[in-house]
Amino acid sequence: MRVRARGLGKVYPGVDGAPPVRVLDDINLDADPGQVLAVVGQSGSGKSTLLNLLGLLEPVGAGEIRFDEARVSHLGRRAQCRVRGTQIGYVFQTFLLLASLTALDNVLLAARYVGRERREAERDALALMERLGVLHRRGHYPAQLSGGEQQRVAYCRAVLNRPPLLLADEPTGNLDDMHARVILDELRAQARERGATVILVTHRLDAAATADACLRLAAGRLASD
Amino acid sequence: MLGIAVGMAGLVALGAMAERIGRFIEGGDRFVLGQISVAGEGMGMGAGFTAGGLLTAARMAEIARVPGVAVVQPQVMLPINTSTSSFLTLTQELLMGVDPGAPLANRNYRTLPLRVGRNLAAGNRGVTVLGTDFAASHKLDVGSTLTVGALEFKVVGILDKTLTAPDRFAMVALEDARDVWLRRDPLLFRVFGSGGLTRADLNSGAAVGWQDGVDPDALARRIQDTVKGVNVTIPGELSQLLRASTAFFSALLVGVGTLALVIGGLSLANTVTAAVFERIRDFGVKRALGATDLHLLREVLGEALAVSVWGVTIGLAMAVVIGFAVDSRTLREGQQLFYFSPRLIGFTVVFAVLLGGLAAAYATLRITRLSPAEAIRRGS
Repeated sequence: MRVRARGLGKVYPGVDGAPPVRVLDDINLDADPGQVLAVVGQSGSGKSTLLNLLGLLEPVGAGEIRFDEARVSHLGRRAQCRVRGTQIGYVFQTFLLLASLTALDNVLLAARYVGRERREAERDALALMERLGVLHRRGHYPAQLSGGEQQRVAYCRAVLNRPPLLLADEPTGNLDDMHARVILDELRAQARERGATVILVTHRLDAAATADACLRLAAGRLASD
Repeated sequence: MLGIAVGMAGLVALGAMAERIGRFIEGGDRFVLGQISVAGEGMGMGAGFTAGGLLTAARMAEIARVPGVAVVQPQVMLPINTSTSSFLTLTQELLMGVDPGAPLANRNYRTLPLRVGRNLAAGNRGVTVLGTDFAASHKLDVGSTLTVGALEFKVVGILDKTLTAPDRFAMVALEDARDVWLRRDPLLFRVFGSGGLTRADLNSGAAVGWQDGVDPDALARRIQDTVKGVNVTIPGELSQLLRASTAFFSALLVGVGTLALVIGGLSLANTVTAAVFERIRDFGVKRALGATDLHLLREVLGEALAVSVWGVTIGLAMAVVIGFAVDSRTLREGQQLFYFSPRLIGFTVVFAVLLGGLAAAYATLRITRLSPAEAIRRGS
């Protein structure tokens, strides 16, 4: 899926009388199917906000986002839910697994809201978990898993529905090198093997170096391409 | 869950106390509206409920001739404990002498429901049927013996709980009650012995029933106007009087009920909304995975329903256990403090489910106003 953003901007209102904070300003971005795009920049440069806007996790302040030809940034709430559930997979730095669900149920959560048949989704989930080496942990709760295991479970959840767009926000930020490599390899494989568009926010130089393209942000603006 | 259960226990317990007071007032009201009570003129210190003088047989015959009167039933109503006031009260224990075997003249209490044993029958002497609180406070059961003065009565039946005056009655045959009265009141005995009275004159009052279609208040006034030397209570006026005299309890009932609703409701609503807000991050994640507002609302309502039902079930159980434990002690004194009526239980369940659902819906709608990213940020 081709992702195109034009003139993206985001301003957060100031708290307690403080002036508004312009987090992103006039960002243009293109990512093609099968491409891994790295977004790098210092803390506070607006990387995560950009990813949130691209993932329809918060409304754009200015500009627009298109998935292929569809102007998804301006869809209604319900339609955006559908897009999030079927076309986007998220991998978060803090995993964001639900503490009350087992590893398997966390993975299956991705199928719950898009109307997938449970048995078929469970078959896919188990296959994914086996490939990522966490099948034996399927009945455990997040608190019983290591950081590496939690991120692999979160990754399984992100790709369960085979979304054409994968967004990863510092997916290796809380992992050691070995587990980080597993996740990065998986993300690259998603782009290479099934043509997913992968947009990766990272501070790891090795991750950025192996990306097909790199976008550098500084103070909310595009620094270089 | 425990918070909801405790709140619901408070709601049910306070509600059960309010129900108990309410049933007592309603029962008394129902009783006075079911008959016209007539006593002799003056202040009969021996007579309990009607607080009037002797109502002689001649006077009763006159009453029976008043158009509209269906039945005149002689009664002797005496306080069991002579050291207490014999004037109007709904809480003291009374010896109630009635014509055994005849249905009561009271339209709202033709018969009193039996819990165990049997009712008084025609020709019975030396036997009694007890109200449930009376039996409990005196530790009497069917087969036991009740002693009143020098007379002994074998208990043949215990009434079912009415939650009003009859719970504290000992019902005996009219002739037995007359014997108790004569033995208890030397002045009355002297007058009786002098030949001025017959046994049929020894009535502390009468319950007057009316024919169908007759206005009881108008009939009561007609009796008052037609028959000299009697003290007639007007059912409607007595009802108003009772309501006025129990206005404090009625207000207390409203206050207790309101307090119970506020405490229980706040506890439930607070617990449910807190449970939803605690999981704000989870809702953000779910929305990131495609959940719509409706998906989340349905999930939360389902959970709130389950939590509310469990909470109210445990709360009900706690309240009932506490209520029965307290009542098991107070019943020894003939007092029941709690009444867990079906309508109270039904109301509590419906209230809990509705309020739980509303609180959950409110919290969910608040959360869904946030963007998924904001929900995740706030919950992290």
